[in-house]
Amino acid sequence: MNVWQRFWQAWQVEIANIFADKAVLLVIVGGLLFYAVLYPLPYHKNVPGEQAVAVVDHDHTHLARQLIRMADAAPQIRVAAQPSSMAEAEALLASDDVHGLLIIPSGFERDVYLGRPTSLSFAGDASYFLIYGNVVEGLLTAATTLSVQTQLVGSLMKGENPAQIPGQIMPMRIITKPAFNPTSGYINYIVPAVFVLILHQTLLIAAGSVTIKDRARRRLGQTAPSLALALPLRLFTFMLIYLLFAMLYFGFFFQLYGVPHVAAPNELLAFSVLFFMSATLFAIWLGYLLPRPEFPTVLVLISSLPIVFTAGFAWPAESLPKWLDTLTLLIPVKPGIQGFLAINQMGAPLLSIGREISILVGLCVVYGGWLWWLACHQRTSNSARRMAIETKTIRSENNNRRKRR
Amino acid sequence: MEPNKLTGCRALRSQPWLFALVGWLPPLMTLLFIAVFELGTPQSLPVGVVDLDHTSESRALQRYLDASPALDMRHPYPSAREGSEAFQRAEVLALLIIPQHFGRDLRMSLSPKAVAFYNSQYLLAGKFISSALTQSSMNFAAEAGVVLRLGQGYALPQAVAAAAPVRPQITSLYNSGMSYARFLVTTITPALWQIVIVVATLLTLCWRLEKAPLPDTFSARSYALWQLLMPISLLLWFQGLLMLGLYSYFLGWSPEDSIVWLAVGMALMVLAVQSMATLILSAVANKIRALSLCAAYLAPAFAFMGITFPRGDMNMLARVWGNLMPSTHYIELQVAVADHGAPLATLLPPLLILLLFLLPFPLAIHALPKQLTINPAEQVS
Repeated sequence: MNVWQRFWQAWQVEIANIFADKAVLLVIVGGLLFYAVLYPLPYHKNVPGEQAVAVVDHDHTHLARQLIRMADAAPQIRVAAQPSSMAEAEALLASDDVHGLLIIPSGFERDVYLGRPTSLSFAGDASYFLIYGNVVEGLLTAATTLSVQTQLVGSLMKGENPAQIPGQIMPMRIITKPAFNPTSGYINYIVPAVFVLILHQTLLIAAGSVTIKDRARRRLGQTAPSLALALPLRLFTFMLIYLLFAMLYFGFFFQLYGVPHVAAPNELLAFSVLFFMSATLFAIWLGYLLPRPEFPTVLVLISSLPIVFTAGFAWPAESLPKWLDTLTLLIPVKPGIQGFLAINQMGAPLLSIGREISILVGLCVVYGGWLWWLACHQRTSNSARRMAIETKTIRSENNNRRKRR
Repeated sequence: MEPNKLTGCRALRSQPWLFALVGWLPPLMTLLFIAVFELGTPQSLPVGVVDLDHTSESRALQRYLDASPALDMRHPYPSAREGSEAFQRAEVLALLIIPQHFGRDLRMSLSPKAVAFYNSQYLLAGKFISSALTQSSMNFAAEAGVVLRLGQGYALPQAVAAAAPVRPQITSLYNSGMSYARFLVTTITPALWQIVIVVATLLTLCWRLEKAPLPDTFSARSYALWQLLMPISLLLWFQGLLMLGLYSYFLGWSPEDSIVWLAVGMALMVLAVQSMATLILSAVANKIRALSLCAAYLAPAFAFMGITFPRGDMNMLARVWGNLMPSTHYIELQVAVADHGAPLATLLPPLLILLLFLLPFPLAIHALPKQLTINPAEQVS
């Protein structure tokens, strides 16, 4: 058998290990398609809509009513109830009918027109942060608009120099603008990062369990291509399969969900190759540590939520404890997510993300090298065991022969 | 081995990984998330500054913003080009550009504007920076306004009053420090607990079915499963209670209503998830495929709970899928009991829905495969 035939045969074995295993196919094909539909499902509306707030009006004046109308007009909130007392308002909050509260004190209009400082009380339900943020933003917008209007009227009535008025009302301001995700939509926030996570986690399950089953067969003494050939071919096959799925995810599904993506195709491909190489090596390495084919799935299930909150997109990596931030970089998905977001969503050139690239290369070396060592180690112990079994059978056969005599 | 000796305690003793899963992993995970959010709120987020003005006013603004605990303004860039490159690499999460003549315009009462771009790809950090910038700059503007008015001949009290006539006072209800630790740890860890329940139940059932066949009659089966699952269920329930204890010790969490309601809810949650795990195993009769199905079913539970993105703004399909998960109802109960101190009428619906999950339990017990076989070519024992 020449080299090419051996190579081709070994590859066929690897392909059969993947495609003849229903459990693995279920994860790769079924899982990847199902998750691509399921994960974005809660966020189809993209931005949370108007949240219900209650207004307790102790003032009952024209200005108070104007403020209520302004609050209702703010895009983030709608005035759903005007309870007459605080007790009533609290009951509405407790039963989840409203998520925010605006309290207008008595004497509000008088104080504003007399130029006395007055305060407006807002409250938001901080059990739900996104709702809270919207309620506060909406109420602040209404209050600021009202404040600017009354200041403007007051200044004009006092006969001040109109050229001075803009600076008096608003001496300076910082205008904040969202970049990379211009609508601040949730789909654009969650989907690009979680898709990388889904690819990584299903790869861990598939390549991990394929490796465990392969090890089990080798231990039973079934013939298989040499590891020096099988492992590189397994790496290559999984990288190829996942590059195809990456095209589906980063191409078709991003387009479907309207996720902005800006990386040049060759740069995206280059980074994907590096990412899937380190992730597959990590998966096969796990396959050499874990004894049973269901364990990669268990590990993935337990680790997914911790990864989401330590990968830097859901919670800033700068706010993680230093040791945790460093430790989690050992999982390829974290530098992977940060790199993909930088090149594909934020438009950074590939060469500028040297940090992520060097971490992934380092992980390839670590897991690849470790794997090499594990494979060599187990091969020698396996052949020793096989030799022991063989000598035992030979001995017992000899004994039988002796008995027969 | 004798089938009636195959109890949950035996499973725990003979399977160290099962013991890990229901013994020390859940509190470890809770502690991990407490560590992740140890700061409570994001702090010292890096903001790049391109100062094109270089006046005392522009530097005063930067110092003022830097004093905000949320912001770290010590990332100067000489030009917008260099600043935006760092911004794209996510080295800084926002980029503030102070225009030329900022100081002069401020002195001349021309209301200058500075633009800050924030990274809304990292939405939580971006929004946090945006509101910190807005709030701090409003305070800076109010002070600058007082100085301006003093220069125009106002007396100090009038100048202060005129600079900020309507002052908003913002109260965050049910979570007074606005701590993300409280908000997220108390909702993420129940989702993780649910995953531990489903995995532990499934692996225990498979262990039992691999060791010996189940009896045929329904009553004998139920008794065998009771012996098997009862210790596991109790341990998992205890893990739930321990989780609440850790919240209260580390996060200062204390429920408004009686904790008894949560203890009842947690017991129902354990049974509900176990019922679903049994149902899934009886449907596919294969360990690995059952685990994959559980992964598909419960792995995204956190997203469907409505804690980060409100359930009221999800579409019909997402709400239905969320309703199929016990965790959604448990969290509804937890928020009502712990945060809102809601009346009994609000607590009953989630409790009753958790009970509904137990309906398919008898059917699942009846339909469980009699036995599962281990394929020696699949595991390295």
